[in-house]
Amino acid sequence: MSLAIQTEKLTKSYGRKARGIEDVDLAVEEGEVFGFLGPNGAGKTTTVRTLLGFLKPTGGRGKVFGLDIRKESVEIRANVGNLPGEFALEDKMTGERLLEYFARLRGVRDLGYAHELSERLGAELHRPMRRLSRGNKQKIGLVQAMFHRPPLLMLDEPTGGLDPLVQEEFLDVIEEVKAEGRTVFFSSHNLAEVERVCDRVGIIRGGRLVAVETTETLIDKSFRHVVLTFDQDVDPKPFESLSGVRDLAGEGRRISFTLYDDLDEMVKLAAGHTLVNMEYERPSLEEVFLTYYERENGEGL
Amino acid sequence: MSTVLDRGEGGTQAERRAPRGTLFALVSHTSRSQLRSVLIWGAALGLYSAAMVASFTAIEGSAKELNQLMQAYPKGMLEAFGVTNLGDPANYLHSQFFGLAPLALSFFTILALANALAGAEERGTIDVLLGNPLPRWQLVAGNFIATAISLLGICAVVGLLIWGTAVLMDVELSLRQIANGVLNLWPICIVFGALALLCSALLHRRALAISIPAFLLFGMYLIDAVGRASKDLEDWRPASAFYYYGSAIEDGIDWPNFSVITLIALALVLLATLFFRRRDIYT
Repeated sequence: MSLAIQTEKLTKSYGRKARGIEDVDLAVEEGEVFGFLGPNGAGKTTTVRTLLGFLKPTGGRGKVFGLDIRKESVEIRANVGNLPGEFALEDKMTGERLLEYFARLRGVRDLGYAHELSERLGAELHRPMRRLSRGNKQKIGLVQAMFHRPPLLMLDEPTGGLDPLVQEEFLDVIEEVKAEGRTVFFSSHNLAEVERVCDRVGIIRGGRLVAVETTETLIDKSFRHVVLTFDQDVDPKPFESLSGVRDLAGEGRRISFTLYDDLDEMVKLAAGHTLVNMEYERPSLEEVFLTYYERENGEGL
Repeated sequence: MSTVLDRGEGGTQAERRAPRGTLFALVSHTSRSQLRSVLIWGAALGLYSAAMVASFTAIEGSAKELNQLMQAYPKGMLEAFGVTNLGDPANYLHSQFFGLAPLALSFFTILALANALAGAEERGTIDVLLGNPLPRWQLVAGNFIATAISLLGICAVVGLLIWGTAVLMDVELSLRQIANGVLNLWPICIVFGALALLCSALLHRRALAISIPAFLLFGMYLIDAVGRASKDLEDWRPASAFYYYGSAIEDGIDWPNFSVITLIALALVLLATLFFRRRDIYT
């Protein structure tokens, strides 16, 4: 399979002022939805902006659809729909006018798909940007990235500011894009979103790509927050001695802990008592990162 | 819309060529966005200049006395403001309007072109725009072309208001004289705009892209005005853009000077393009 994005030791240094990215080796296959994950300031935006030619790499190489990021940036952008993480739209312009303008810049004559997307996401196209909420601006940002059906979508925090129903609709659109065999390069802090749509994820930390995993593997590596409530006071010590239990707190009938390991032993132990309630929560993506990073450093489990 | 490129064995079926016509789309969009400013600037300067034309009818009868009064003023001061004969409507309009108009109108080009790059970076709009297959040189050149067209539009509005007032008030100013006067504003105003574009490309700070050309604009005006008044400073005048400006409403356009200033503006745009192509886009 051909690669949509390929980088070799891609480096962007800002000097002493800020951290950039260092020796990033990335390979995103055509047709996959690739989640690019990392805490704020890790280098996600720098990577995307370097791939699009907004930033000049200070080392290494990069290609998008085989096109060189240093020399063929315009051709790359003809093939990419980009939603920047932090962006602004011209205050006086309406969404409709923005789409007409961008359609002319891209040589697109038919705005039918743009209108279809706008309707699905509930984007308001006839009001000036200055009168739109953050969520509505985000919708227009999404439509301008997708309306020309690009072979590659680069979306930085695409669901930020969107309400849950619109997020759901957006994820449906991403699944359609995937079904059409197009590629999506997706950065998000929302683990559920990543789990639902991404085939693989890359984790960037401190400007370095520390892992590329399938989504399943990433989720498997994560832990769960568990809260058990019993019908009477229970001794927490047996739970503390279970493998993979951390941060245990026992107070009367309620025991809470973080479970890094197999669920089975814990359930069997809990079943020895009368269980009134069990909360079993996924961690936030940020927490998964921290755990993952600790494992990588050998500081954690 | 899309064209499949042959990228060889490792290539992909998912490639499009950069479309043509992006420069035209950028210029027409930017010109359209500047239309409101064109009308505001044109109306403001046009109404002021029309008022000056109208005021000429009030002083016309006493021009001889006024000229005698002017003789009491230091000669250098009259030279500095280009006053030679207030009984001549062309000289009156030059001294009251055209001599000072570049100081105001240059701010149209300075603000427009400082906004085009550094302003867009500071507002955060540039990443969305450059997400399109728009070469950077076109962003620089397109904004310059659009602003140059808008500047011509302002000059046309000003010219029409002066001419209309002159016809209504029966002031002896020909359409040709007025056209020369307003057209001569174009190169001197565009050159400071081009400087703003260069500062924008080099320094990516809107405040600097405005203040540096503004400082030079007033500095050059002073050098020329003081140089005309004082023989000691006369040698400095060629360093000022205003030295090449002259009084086109009286003497016609000095085409060599017009061309030199225009070429300097184009050279500044070229430099801006070179710098902007090589640097990072800041947000």
